[in-house]
Amino acid sequence: MNPSYGVTDKQDTRQAQRLSSTTIAVLTIYGLVVLMIFGSRLVSPSLGGISQLMTVLYLSSFLVICAFGQGLVILVRGLDLSVASMITLGGVLSTTFMQGTNEGLYFIIPGILLISAMVGVISGLGVTHLSIPPFIMTMAMGLIVYSVCLGFTEGTPRGFPAPMLNAFMQNKVLGVALPILLMLAFIIIFTILQSYSAFGRKLNAVGNNPEAANIAGIAVKRMTISAYAISAACSALAGVLLAAYANGATLRMGDDYLLPSIAAVVVGGSSILGGRGSFLGTVGGALLLTTLSSMLSALGVGQGWKTILEGIVILVALIMLREQIFTGLQSMLKKTN
Amino acid sequence: MLAAGMQPAEAKTEDGKWLIYLSLSYSGNSWQSEAANIVKALAKTPPYNDTVELVEVISGTDPQSQISDYESMIANGADGIVSFPISSNALNRTVRHGCEQGVLFFMYDATVTEQCAYNVSYITSGFGENTAQALVNELGGEGKIFLSRGVPGNSVDERHTNGAMHIFNQYPGIEIAAEYYSNWDDRTTQQETSKALAAHPDVDGIWAQAGEYGAIQALLQADENRLVPMTGENSNGFRLALANEEYQAKGLSGVSAGSPPAQSGLAFKLMMEMLEGERDELPEDQRNIQYPLPWVTADDVKLCEGDTFEDGCNTFPGDKVPSSFVTEVFNPELLPELSLASALEGTPTPGATIQPLPADVIENAPNEPGINCRNCDAPENLYELTTVEPTVSP
Amino acid sequence: MTIKKIADSGLMIMVIYLIIFAIYAAVQPSALSAYSIQGLFNNSLPLMLAAAGATFVILQGGFDLSVAGTISLVNSIVAVLQFDGALGAVGILGIALTVGILVGAINGFVVAYLKIQAIAATLATMIICQGIALLILRAPGGYVSDFMAYELTGSVFEVPVSIIIAFLVAMLWFVFRRTNAGRNLLAIGQDAKASELSGIDVARTKFFSFLWAGAFYALAAYFLAAQTSTGSPSAGEPFLLLTFAAVALGGTAFGGGRGGVTASLLGAATLVLMQKFLFSVGVSSFYTGMVQGLIMILAVLFSGAVQFVVDKRNIT
Repeated sequence: MNPSYGVTDKQDTRQAQRLSSTTIAVLTIYGLVVLMIFGSRLVSPSLGGISQLMTVLYLSSFLVICAFGQGLVILVRGLDLSVASMITLGGVLSTTFMQGTNEGLYFIIPGILLISAMVGVISGLGVTHLSIPPFIMTMAMGLIVYSVCLGFTEGTPRGFPAPMLNAFMQNKVLGVALPILLMLAFIIIFTILQSYSAFGRKLNAVGNNPEAANIAGIAVKRMTISAYAISAACSALAGVLLAAYANGATLRMGDDYLLPSIAAVVVGGSSILGGRGSFLGTVGGALLLTTLSSMLSALGVGQGWKTILEGIVILVALIMLREQIFTGLQSMLKKTN
Repeated sequence: MLAAGMQPAEAKTEDGKWLIYLSLSYSGNSWQSEAANIVKALAKTPPYNDTVELVEVISGTDPQSQISDYESMIANGADGIVSFPISSNALNRTVRHGCEQGVLFFMYDATVTEQCAYNVSYITSGFGENTAQALVNELGGEGKIFLSRGVPGNSVDERHTNGAMHIFNQYPGIEIAAEYYSNWDDRTTQQETSKALAAHPDVDGIWAQAGEYGAIQALLQADENRLVPMTGENSNGFRLALANEEYQAKGLSGVSAGSPPAQSGLAFKLMMEMLEGERDELPEDQRNIQYPLPWVTADDVKLCEGDTFEDGCNTFPGDKVPSSFVTEVFNPELLPELSLASALEGTPTPGATIQPLPADVIENAPNEPGINCRNCDAPENLYELTTVEPTVSP
Repeated sequence: MTIKKIADSGLMIMVIYLIIFAIYAAVQPSALSAYSIQGLFNNSLPLMLAAAGATFVILQGGFDLSVAGTISLVNSIVAVLQFDGALGAVGILGIALTVGILVGAINGFVVAYLKIQAIAATLATMIICQGIALLILRAPGGYVSDFMAYELTGSVFEVPVSIIIAFLVAMLWFVFRRTNAGRNLLAIGQDAKASELSGIDVARTKFFSFLWAGAFYALAAYFLAAQTSTGSPSAGEPFLLLTFAAVALGGTAFGGGRGGVTASLLGAATLVLMQKFLFSVGVSSFYTGMVQGLIMILAVLFSGAVQFVVDKRNIT
């Protein structure tokens, strides 16, 4: 038996090696996505083309945004179960404040993100200062937020998103839908933030080893809280976009994103124990899940088989992305060199 | 006034009101909240505002939660429970226990198989088979279609789809290109339809359950100049689209049918009439009451000028209600007390008073095993067309 | 040391449970009737068993999302098996346990031997199980024998069967945690590396924790079918988050090493009681979620504070 229990017991000297194995994992997952898109031609001749790619990119934009936040929380050894409720909060607040006009759009959206981030701060405070397990803290926060949305709307979210947002969701530039461009910008900015900025390095350090990070003078608690705040704001942003996409909010609009947001992160190669992860991997995970479901939906089999296939593909992807395989591969390459 | 602790079989809470619980699955989509609002509005309409104490309870999607809530209601001395049941079988034992304590159960839309409860539902009225036939008629008997279904593993979805497949299977020219679950939700319908369209951009028609407006949005997003015939439920957005000449020119046609929130109002009024002794209770094997299937084609769509269904109108202007608003909240004959504010806010219509239901309002629903009865046989003509005639032969 | 023992045995959550129950009974006198108590425990038992199962995995530092899928799958299987009578019920129980343990074995193999992250692997098996459940039972329904529906939810010598089952599970844990297997389970949750060095077969212990979990999920699904006299291919969905809430409420630490099955049983019972309690004190349905969330946080803080005091006393 080869004893290796997650990343907690790895030393920082392995940083470089780990980075490159992460890179291979990320490349593998994109390889899988490309393979799957081409492979879906076998399912239907209309698939496997640029239009399917566009559909997948468009639909995965919501998941990519909330999975980024989830990824950060997982990076600092937490788990955010309030994703679904925060999406709902974003949607409900946007339709309530906008009331179908463009007026004040420029401060409404930042306002919503700020309110949501405050909710995230509360979750973060509970986790860091009161030592409540992240699982319980975010689930309780999710219950509370959902309950507030329910009471505030008396069960019926009213109002409409701003027409400008509706147009944003529908319009295209050079044949590419605007939400896809937004997602690309989001990916670029936040990849830099997570992997190349001082902030990102500190977060990684906190995730790798909180005690060491503390000794190194990093404000561990503050970094952890900020991860929860960003996650809440990301989910709310996804909620704002979803409300614009469907031209209205419903109270259960976030339900379909909680588990996929976790799945995207872990399939993307991040360790659920924290300390390892790259946003590009998560994006790959989100694309993989969305491609898979678009392919499955074109498959002429019952829902039972579709669901089974989905689970099997996730499992296979996980087994393929095992760290051991990459480290094994690396040492093999080194030997041949 | 009754002394505390006595059986509430005769009447009412301590302040002399009927204690009625409104037990919901979850709140949050237009359909659920409209159905609940109708009951709330009726309970505030004279004379019920003086005789009814209505308590709303939301149980979520877990049948066990609703079991627990039903038990609490019974223990609290409920006189009646008007409810959207989460499961057709799981609640039976608790419902039976409540009936034995003298509680009246009125289920709307979804049903239970316990025979002592009343089921007021359109579910047996043949939504699936009739809309399927309408779609086949529109398509001239051939084409590639999508099925946009409800929630996986749900008996209502299963019933609708079985009815529809009974028709589609008769036409070899009809090909089911994709079948997906949209959870009766606009947004999910739009996303799932988009995925299916990526694989089958040449789809000829869509058979949809609730959430249908999302399918139109997905079609337009894929190709803003092409719509296809489709059938769906009663969202205001869908009805407006059906009547929209621009959309018709792009290829949209079809019919709007499906689940009317007004069922809850009928259930509540029937229950109140029985409690007040104005109407006899029915024998246990006759408590399945059918609500007629709404059926609105493009030609039938008529905009309402005011806040209720008047002069045969059945759709509201787009600036008055959201596209997801389910239009079938009114019934001029059975529920004349309601207005738009009743459905949106749960407030009574000023000046309205409760009107008695017509004596012959009860239409018995056919038996459907697992839907509204146990150990029973379905009639042989289960999927017989009731609303639409085939115009193309298989 | 005695106080520490008490804290670990789930006494805190029992106190919380009794407080809530006392208020509930004061507001709703009929709560003390035999019918009410039997109903309450019948309603609680499936979640209690599911939480008991999840505790085995969480104690070793793992995580198991497959609870929702396993319950859906076993619940569907139970509802398609048409065996009558007491013997039939035993037969179905055997099949249910076999399926649950099989799912647990797959989870255990993938997590303990293939070393896939538990949360990710069990997410996949959860989805697969949900798919199989839909193949077995297309819509809610199926058949549950009268014996299961009535005897298993009834009483024996005035004691509700559900209370007896819960008690037996608590007894099982009482014995199990004193065996080598039980000590190993807690040990690797505290420090896997040290346990490995001291000769504990960590992979094997992890593997077995998933078997226990699978068996208990199956038991939960079995009693869920008895209570609702029906099966549903989506029966397990409501259990997903509630199970973990119950475990946390019981004071078992996520990350492993501290807590126990008895505490989780009580945690689950508290969650179910909370709904009754909120109903009886008349909290508007819109805001029950908010109160539930706050109570969850407070309960965790409460047992955390007690633990803190205990630890402090141990040090000094």
